[in-house]
Amino acid sequence: MYKPKILVIEDDPAITNLIRTTLDTQDYQYHTAKNGSGALLDAVSYNADVIILDLGLPDMDGVEIIQKVRGWSNVPIIVVSARSEDQDKVEALDAGADDYLTKPFSIDELLARLRVALRRSRTDEASSQVQTSVYRNGDLTIDFAAGCAYMNEKEIHLTPIEYKLLCVLAKNTGKVLTHNYILKEVWGNTSASDTPSLRVFMATLRKKIEKNPSVPQYIQTHIGVGYRMIRR
Amino acid sequence: MENMKVAYKGHIDNQRQGRLKIFFGYAAGVGKTYAMLEAAHQAQKKGINIVVGYIERHTRPDTLALLEGLEQLPYKEIDYKGIKLKEFDLDAALKRHPQIVLVDELAHSNAAGCRHAKRYQDVEELLRAGIDVYTTVNVQHLESLNDLVASITQVAVSERIPDSVFDSADQVELVDIEPDDLIARLLSGKVYRKNQASHALNHFFTRDNLAALREIALRRTADRLSRNAKKSGNETVAKAGEHILICLSSSPSNAKVIRTAARMAEAFHSGFTALFVETPEIKELKGDGLKRLRDNLRLAEQLGAQIATVYGDDPAVQIAEYAKVSGITKIVIGRTNHSSTIFLRSKTLADKLTKLAGDIDIYIIPDAQPLYKKKFNLLRKEEPKFRWIDLLKAVLITLSATAINFGFYTAGLREANIITLYILGVLLIAIWTHGHLYGALASVLSVILFNFLFTVPRFTLEATDPDYPITCLIMLVASIISSSLATRVKKQARQSAQKAYYMELLMNSSQKMQQGRDEQEIIALAAEQIRALLDRPILYSLALKGKELKFQVCPQSEANKLIGAMTAEEIGVADWVVKNNKHAGATTNTLSHAQNLYLSVRGNQEVMGVIGIPSKYYPPLDVFEKNLLISLLNECGLILERRRLRAEKQAVEMETQRERLRSNLLRAISHDLRTPLTSISGNAGVLMEKSILLDESKKQEIYNSIYDDSMWLVNLTENLLSITRIENGAIHLQMNAELIDDVFREALSHVDRKASEHEISVELADDLLMAKMDVRLIVQVIINIVNNAIKYTPQGSHICLSAQKDKKMVCIRIADDGPGISDEAKLHLFDMFYTADIGKADSRRGLGLGLSLCKSIIDAHGGEISVSDNHPQGAVFSFTLPLEEVNCDHV
Repeated sequence: MYKPKILVIEDDPAITNLIRTTLDTQDYQYHTAKNGSGALLDAVSYNADVIILDLGLPDMDGVEIIQKVRGWSNVPIIVVSARSEDQDKVEALDAGADDYLTKPFSIDELLARLRVALRRSRTDEASSQVQTSVYRNGDLTIDFAAGCAYMNEKEIHLTPIEYKLLCVLAKNTGKVLTHNYILKEVWGNTSASDTPSLRVFMATLRKKIEKNPSVPQYIQTHIGVGYRMIRR
Repeated sequence: MENMKVAYKGHIDNQRQGRLKIFFGYAAGVGKTYAMLEAAHQAQKKGINIVVGYIERHTRPDTLALLEGLEQLPYKEIDYKGIKLKEFDLDAALKRHPQIVLVDELAHSNAAGCRHAKRYQDVEELLRAGIDVYTTVNVQHLESLNDLVASITQVAVSERIPDSVFDSADQVELVDIEPDDLIARLLSGKVYRKNQASHALNHFFTRDNLAALREIALRRTADRLSRNAKKSGNETVAKAGEHILICLSSSPSNAKVIRTAARMAEAFHSGFTALFVETPEIKELKGDGLKRLRDNLRLAEQLGAQIATVYGDDPAVQIAEYAKVSGITKIVIGRTNHSSTIFLRSKTLADKLTKLAGDIDIYIIPDAQPLYKKKFNLLRKEEPKFRWIDLLKAVLITLSATAINFGFYTAGLREANIITLYILGVLLIAIWTHGHLYGALASVLSVILFNFLFTVPRFTLEATDPDYPITCLIMLVASIISSSLATRVKKQARQSAQKAYYMELLMNSSQKMQQGRDEQEIIALAAEQIRALLDRPILYSLALKGKELKFQVCPQSEANKLIGAMTAEEIGVADWVVKNNKHAGATTNTLSHAQNLYLSVRGNQEVMGVIGIPSKYYPPLDVFEKNLLISLLNECGLILERRRLRAEKQAVEMETQRERLRSNLLRAISHDLRTPLTSISGNAGVLMEKSILLDESKKQEIYNSIYDDSMWLVNLTENLLSITRIENGAIHLQMNAELIDDVFREALSHVDRKASEHEISVELADDLLMAKMDVRLIVQVIINIVNNAIKYTPQGSHICLSAQKDKKMVCIRIADDGPGISDEAKLHLFDMFYTADIGKADSRRGLGLGLSLCKSIIDAHGGEISVSDNHPQGAVFSFTLPLEEVNCDHV
């Protein structure tokens, strides 16, 4: 059986140790790097399936590492940061990170995020081979060619903006998308004054595709950061 | 002028004031400069850093020899009409900043292009900069002795210094020499070159003159000593209550009156007041007269007089009134006739005063001034300009009166009516025209018309009835008197209206300035008032320590033009004003080349700001505008200073409060952290060492305990982080519109693990309800309140979160049906470190940070937080946040 390879970039020994122990229990392969420059070398040579990156490294800005890695690889990156650094998280996500973990995080949370990221890297490989015009995720189906979305084979009536929103989320399934990113993709601009509209459209979209909007199955809210389509 | 651009640093009062030493002589050649240089050498030997700033060029050779071994500053060369003038370089001296600077000839007048008009002003600036100065001066240059010396020597000296400079000097060294020796010295060519010497000997250096001068110098020095001795002791209030009053005027002899009075005040050790009577004539003063008036005012100020202003028509009455109410004992006046009303060829001021002033002594100073070029255009009243329109009015009114009189005449009415009507016409003319002229003209015209038209024989200027000439004469006198009275009443009305306007302006300004929200607004309000007063745009800037002046303009529309004209040089002048707390610029003696007049806005302790008044294209300010301006600026300065002091005090108070809070917090934390930390480390220790002895369920229990305690610490950390964010003064709230629904969900996913033992529900009528908030902080607020509810209510209680729109706010409610909160506790709930002492045995911790933090967060959002009772039981916490209304149509 294939053991997923994980590159852990973290300078704090205690956290590294915690992640190591966790990964051991799940039978993942891993490699750890203590600083930015070493991490970049490892990222090239280790060919990881997922990278876990601590934003607060001693020698290099985490965002810089993301940008460099994104220069040649699409490997999922999970960012680890303290909660008081919301802005850093958004910056990291905008630079190309997929997901984030807030310190202190629980082991369950870490593993869940890892699974999502691994699933994405696998479907990415699959979808890159077959260019599909139909998107399937649980009961949700989007026919890009026809411009329609279905839930349980029943068409959902969406406004043009809701449809666009859904497409942007679907195309980035598993990835946390920042408000800015979504605004840019859907409205073509990123003026902050539009965030309230984004919230409203997201709420109405959610009402149409979620069975119970207060326990969302598909679209997850990351408060202060953005939204994510979950792979069912 | 490059040095002037130096941003002003600190204030004068923070610095040590330099000490002034004057070498005082009674004539040129007594050896002042020589003595000064010798003193300099001695000082240098003691290791004092001493520099020669300026020594007169024509100095005698043996004196010049003394210059050797002393550092000399280069002269400042000034091109004056093609001649290179050498002047003392003030900026170089300030830059060099030695301990002592030598500056010869204190009374010297600087060439145009220097900063100050007078050298003593240079010296004052050096002193303010904390530099000691040695200087020389001759007795004839002292302002108050000027006339006296001139009357002895027959030589008028135009270079003078105010006595205050001399009296406030820290040391005065009298350089004395026998007159005979001086003459011998002169003859030997030591003082002047040969040909000059003989001229000087004949005119100035006569033995008698020198002896007299010497006496004056000695006496003046002695006076100074006795005064200083008195100052250092307990200063008795003006001995025997003597107080001398003079009246300021534009008369050339007034200067002499002022000087004499100043000397008298000196001799009597009495108070000294210069009274200015504002009469309508003075308002119309122009040109030379106005300049003299200003000079006199300045002179009086320099000689230590207090300036007072009163308004009125008749100077004598005003002076007498003022003297009576202000406890004046002596009045000094010149022998000039001030008053000249049109009708009563008045008595002299002296005569009137003698009558009015009762038992006050009156000293009369003759105005003979043989030494000065007499200017005999004494207070020549400017004739009011002739105006055709007024003449037309006069003629028209007289003619209409005549027309009506024809009616009267044909109706057979008596002559008395006709005469009365003419007088009425004259009265109206006096009211409706400017000046006495037209009223008088109309009087004459009326009399002629009366005689011509209505007296027998009619249509001639003859009168057969002997009554008529008398009638005509009485009519003429009556109409002239009434015309003159009407004009005067009008004038007084105008004057009192003006006075009322000024008073109102002052009161209003003060009130308005008090209401200014911040310093910038206060000074802007002052500028606005000044603009209204002077009817021209005004520049203004606050003076903040260590910051450059930043000028603004009132009104804004003129900003481009005026700010554009603020060259580095202009800013330099303004900087100088702030640094030295003196007025400067156009129309003053200091830096008068500037385009604008700069006035400092003074507080009690420091300069609060500076006002720039454009003077180039506008008429010069009159005395009253200036007085009013100064009182306005002083008021503004005081208000600014009060405001600044209050702000500083508040900042200090806030800082101490914050400090107290911080130390309380630290103490509370270190105390409360111990419990969970002990539990975690203890439990972990047990697991490490005694693991084998523990069964699985026991271990599970320990794991849980470690987890719970660390989660408690995590929550505490979050709260502390939020506190530091709020506490850091400028709170950086990241306000964003958020769906209340999302916020509730996020908060509930972070509440205590024990939440599962309670029933938590969310009720949202409108799931698109949005509020503006810093979402991290608000989530923290909800977590804290919900955790509290979980902590203080029994298992199975209901906790309900709801939100609804309330006008422009969103009201969020978190209700429980637990035991509720006592009224006493409600009062303190939001205080820091308050913890409920009721409750469970294991409610061992809780810093009491949670709710106080919630309150600061909601406050920072501009909302309100409160607690009330739930029905039938329990407590409700509710808080408000600004509503976000979204209009999706445009997207």
